[in-house]
Amino acid sequence: MKNFEFVRPADLSELLIIKKKLQKKALILDGGTNLLIYIKDGVIREGTIVDVTRVPELKGIQRKNGTVEIGAAETMTDLMDSELLKDSIPFIPEFIKDFGNMLVRNTSTIGGNIADASPIADSAPPLLVLDARVVAASSEGERTIPLSQFFVKPQETALHPDEVLLRFEVPVPKSGRGRFVKLGLRRGTSCSVASAAVWLVADNGNVQEIRIALGGVAPKPLRIEKTEETFTGARLDTETIDRISEGVKQEIAPITDVRGSAAYRREVTARLVARAVKTCAGLEES
Amino acid sequence: MMGKTLYDLTITVNDRVVKSKVAAETSLLDFLRDNNFTEVKRGCDHGDCGACTVIVDDRAILSCLTVALQVQGRRVYTVNSLGSWDKLHPLQQAFVDREALQCGFCTPGMLMTAKALLDKNPHPTREEIREAISGNLCRCTGYNKIVDAIEDAADVISGVSKGGQHG
Repeated sequence: MKNFEFVRPADLSELLIIKKKLQKKALILDGGTNLLIYIKDGVIREGTIVDVTRVPELKGIQRKNGTVEIGAAETMTDLMDSELLKDSIPFIPEFIKDFGNMLVRNTSTIGGNIADASPIADSAPPLLVLDARVVAASSEGERTIPLSQFFVKPQETALHPDEVLLRFEVPVPKSGRGRFVKLGLRRGTSCSVASAAVWLVADNGNVQEIRIALGGVAPKPLRIEKTEETFTGARLDTETIDRISEGVKQEIAPITDVRGSAAYRREVTARLVARAVKTCAGLEES
Repeated sequence: MMGKTLYDLTITVNDRVVKSKVAAETSLLDFLRDNNFTEVKRGCDHGDCGACTVIVDDRAILSCLTVALQVQGRRVYTVNSLGSWDKLHPLQQAFVDREALQCGFCTPGMLMTAKALLDKNPHPTREEIREAISGNLCRCTGYNKIVDAIEDAADVISGVSKGGQHG
């Protein structure tokens, strides 16, 4: 039998008291697009559903000096429509166009997508190449965690049992261009087979800086730093892009599952990265 | 054995106040159907098909993936809020005129997604319509007639006559 309770904290201090008391038994609910599926499928059988939709501290998008702060409970639709983001980090509204579909975006939140720690979370690769940071809160205070250190394994993050994901801090890029590409069986709605985000800073036809993050090829979304380092300073042409693709294949170790085989994932991921780099370099239309 | 904890819930559905007792994990879809709003359809019950789409706070959402208690005190609109037999909403009339349905199971959700789209964007392109309804599955029509119908309804609602310059 399912055995759930329900609480609705009115603000962050109430939420943190509940989280301290219930620890992992507190099931944080906002959009519900993951949690209700886990409950319906029996993956989660008991706990206290903590409805955070009315906690004001989890909301808000604001620019502070060189950083944009995004509340964990901001919905994908609100991020996609945010004029502040379109002006400061247009890559975020851009990648969200490919996230789920309108019905999912209207309730799902950026914090929920990241805290779920799915290896194929669509918002993870873009936030990884943006060098985003996570701010966690507990009744003891706040701490900042680089997103690259936040994911541990599927459904497990660096959050302590008494902590909640409060907001993201995303540095406003000074230069460069980002692109997110993914392969799913149904546009948007389906869970992706593999995904890739690239941030490219080009200078006089050379790669000044390249950041590559992948989803669906490891137990967690990750940056492939070896390939990033190898191609820093390289000439930005189709030959280099072919070699980057080869580098991606060498550096990843995907697995076979219901959505695709390891060999297929390796091939697809290499091509997704190539496509993203070409778009960033202006060699191919997005 | 302890009984299941039930919680009081009040939601305004189609401008009518509905009070009920629900379990912590009861979905908005279950709440609506249990209270005779059976025009809201249960398809996949997992957020894949869009048949259960309703409008809450001007946004089309999946009622199967919404916890009923989250909607406490808020306004929910189902397809029955659109029109009546005597006076169909322009979207409903366009779906009839364009034969944008066969079995009709996806239609209540499709109409609410279309309503939310036109409220936010009164003049969508065909691509914007396709993007908006991409979460609503229809196995009968092949979607073209649905896109035609939403385009027609947009023109009617914004006062552009059929066969006019946008026709």
